[in-house]
Amino acid sequence: MQQKIKDIIAKLQSPEVTFADVRVSFTDFENITFVNGNLRNFSSSKSSPAIGIRVLINGCFGFAGSKDLSEASIERLIKRAKDNAIHGAMFQKAPLSFPTLSPTFADYQHNPEIDPFAMSKEEKLDYLQKLAQMIKPEGKIVHSYVAAEFERQEKFYANTEGSFSHTTVYNTLPLMNVIASEAGQTQSRTWPGHMSAGRAGFELFHKQNFLENTERIKKEAIDLLKAPVISDTTADIIIGGGHLALQLHESVGHATEADRIFGQEISYAGKTFVKPSMLGIFKYGSDILNIYSDSTDPRGLGYHPLDDEGVPGRRVDIIKDGILVNQQTSRHIAHMLGLEPSSNMKASFADDIPLVRMTNLCIAPGKGSLEELIASTEHGYYLDFTKTWSIDDNRNNFQFTTEIGYKIENGKITSIVKEPTYFGITPKFWNSCDAICGEEEWAYHSTFHCGKGEPGQVMRLSHGVAPARFKNINVSVKM
Amino acid sequence: MHENLLYLKAALEKHPELKFVINQEDWQTDFLRFYQSQTNYNISKDNCNVGCSLYKDKKQFSFGIDSPDPQKIDNALAEALNIIDSLPDDPDFVDVEDDQRLAPQRQLSNNIEAISLERKTDILSSLAKSAAEHDFELYGTFICNYYKSRLINSNGLDKSSKSSPIYLEVKAVHNKSQITVLETFGGEDFKYFEIESFRAALMAKILNASNPVVDVEPGEYEVILAPRCLAEFAQYLCYGMSASALDQHSSFFEDKLNTKVFPEFITITDDPQDPRMIGRDYGYGGHIYKELKLIENGVFKAFMCDQYYHHKLGLPKNGNSASCVKIAPGNATLSQMISSVKKGLYISSLHYMNFINPRQTSLTGLTRDGTFLIEDGKITAVVNNLRFTERISRIFENVTELENKAATIPFSDNYESFHVSSAQAPHAKVTGFNITSSTKTI
Repeated sequence: MQQKIKDIIAKLQSPEVTFADVRVSFTDFENITFVNGNLRNFSSSKSSPAIGIRVLINGCFGFAGSKDLSEASIERLIKRAKDNAIHGAMFQKAPLSFPTLSPTFADYQHNPEIDPFAMSKEEKLDYLQKLAQMIKPEGKIVHSYVAAEFERQEKFYANTEGSFSHTTVYNTLPLMNVIASEAGQTQSRTWPGHMSAGRAGFELFHKQNFLENTERIKKEAIDLLKAPVISDTTADIIIGGGHLALQLHESVGHATEADRIFGQEISYAGKTFVKPSMLGIFKYGSDILNIYSDSTDPRGLGYHPLDDEGVPGRRVDIIKDGILVNQQTSRHIAHMLGLEPSSNMKASFADDIPLVRMTNLCIAPGKGSLEELIASTEHGYYLDFTKTWSIDDNRNNFQFTTEIGYKIENGKITSIVKEPTYFGITPKFWNSCDAICGEEEWAYHSTFHCGKGEPGQVMRLSHGVAPARFKNINVSVKM
Repeated sequence: MHENLLYLKAALEKHPELKFVINQEDWQTDFLRFYQSQTNYNISKDNCNVGCSLYKDKKQFSFGIDSPDPQKIDNALAEALNIIDSLPDDPDFVDVEDDQRLAPQRQLSNNIEAISLERKTDILSSLAKSAAEHDFELYGTFICNYYKSRLINSNGLDKSSKSSPIYLEVKAVHNKSQITVLETFGGEDFKYFEIESFRAALMAKILNASNPVVDVEPGEYEVILAPRCLAEFAQYLCYGMSASALDQHSSFFEDKLNTKVFPEFITITDDPQDPRMIGRDYGYGGHIYKELKLIENGVFKAFMCDQYYHHKLGLPKNGNSASCVKIAPGNATLSQMISSVKKGLYISSLHYMNFINPRQTSLTGLTRDGTFLIEDGKITAVVNNLRFTERISRIFENVTELENKAATIPFSDNYESFHVSSAQAPHAKVTGFNITSSTKTI
């Protein structure tokens, strides 16, 4: 394959082509779903191919992608990518450009502890069926599912600057959910929440303690049917890691994607309140808030030695001591902003265009345990397990509902509340952060399902966080 | 063209103990992304995929093959046959689809070929010139797709269909204030696109956007919902009309079949045959996709149900999935509706809606692409984007007036997969719409 890609690059080298790159990926995917204790879906695709060719001509990118890797298809894609760039340049005001990078060569082969594609099917199904049986409908539990998604992706990248990379990674997404119902009311609980994916194989089910939490989610779903809603107008809230990962994702991650500043994602994903003039001066959060993008950490789904336009993996501070100091960029946008590219250009599959994407976007840990943080909270709520999320076009106004809230009184959890909902304005919210737990509570929380771009893509990415506390947050939404 | 599908069919027919559904999808897109009144990317993509679901008694296994060939098919089938006996049963599975009816053939152009890149660029350049006179620039997408599919199953179904959606989304954004307005065109026949009407509609919105920007307090407002908003609320409402939602005890419509749920002037159908819409010939599994009354004169009439849930829940099957939602128009003109509002809002478009409790139809979301203040029957200001927290059932209960004509609205669904669909809806006047906070931004 390496030679095949080099041959394509050789064909793309011509005076009219300023820059070009080629990606090829092969993806295995397996999806297993048990519903109400029964196997509802077992589907598989093996070694699904994809190729994407991108060329920069006359200051405009053209792209062509396909699942067909035949020689005839490749010739057609080269021609189409060039035609697309040439036609695109006819409707253009400012030609696109960026500085050349030195060539980089990289090879990374990830090996999970338990390869989900190589392990015995019986062992895999037995485990999942056992889980499904443990949460199947009974009494007030009226619906349940156990879902597992396994992915292996091998990817090759090469560009006309001479860079080349070859990587293989395994990703797993495990999830279980129960719905309780009584007298027209329904409530649900999941484990371990919607940011449950990881750079791992089947071992992720064991590490996330699925078997140990089946009784907990059934009991909590049933208890929620009779739980009150929050009666406070404002309250201090401690947000658990799984949900804080999504709060970070929506109100910092997407907001600091620089393609949004220039309107490249307006029609679907939206804009951002962040402007280039804010860099270095804007107080995004409190002094204890440090947020960085780190594509060099192989524990997260966002790891890469080289991004999808040839920039080596980097760790970049986005927010330092509460101040916005950088953004997630492409080579072109970094050049326009006078920044170094942050290595955030990623495509879901080789036949997708690369977009500015979160990789491993993390909040640096603070100090202390979750237990200590709860103990130091006089009155508030500990919220986790995302139920509803929504944020505006500019990533400024958000509203989240979690599946459950744990009421804290005098430093102790005393009861639960249903559908706890809080809302706020992004900078005000992050400036209200007065405590972040320490390294011992810090972990990656990851997703397979970050939607962005047109044509649509879903990205696998991670957030490293520890639970954190936010003061005086609006928790009253009139329904 | 379908030699790989027929190769797979022949291989499966050697196993009479199996039931199967196989389908081939061939898909192409020609996708122009633009920003700041210039090209961002021209993208071409294509794919050929063969999918197969095998059933042995009550055991089921599925596989998909991109860019198939006989060797890949042999390998995937061998693995499937090797695994299927070891799988646990799904006791609710009974049979694959047996609806033999064929949809009438539609005359369709391949719009990728019919609308050249030069023509797209000419249209966008012309619109950009008009917008620039008001210091607005254009952002958006101009998309043409071509899609062909053929489905064969062990009950003798052999059904082919094709579609070629066009989607033009133009957002005009003011260079200084960032005020944004939206105009779209969608369908499968470009003869319905008239650039001068499109330009006139866009320019009217740009003129409204020249009003001052204000903020409003949370509270209940009388609102005029643009057709796009009403259609999107209806699409979310339709979640509860699916048999799968009923099965999960998450449906608002549980125990409400043939019950009056909305005012009698509310009629919602799922209709794939309107020539202005993006058509759909067959539903999931191959059942013919025909017009289905969902809400008729305010009365809930039907759950959307496929073969699987037909057997499991005993509901009539219909193959519908709310891909072609139409809301019947009413009697008022838009100007009459706006002039009857003392103080309220005109909402152009919605953003990032998500259910809080689907059974109660409660959700939150935001306004986008032009929210306007109406005072004494006139649009007087642009309003910052607003958050609402509502029950969709309550929104439809509170509709007091519908416009006397419906517009066709395309939707580009980019979450998880790229897909273009359409809906039809009139403007609606709604009382007591619950605004819960302001975004403080445009």
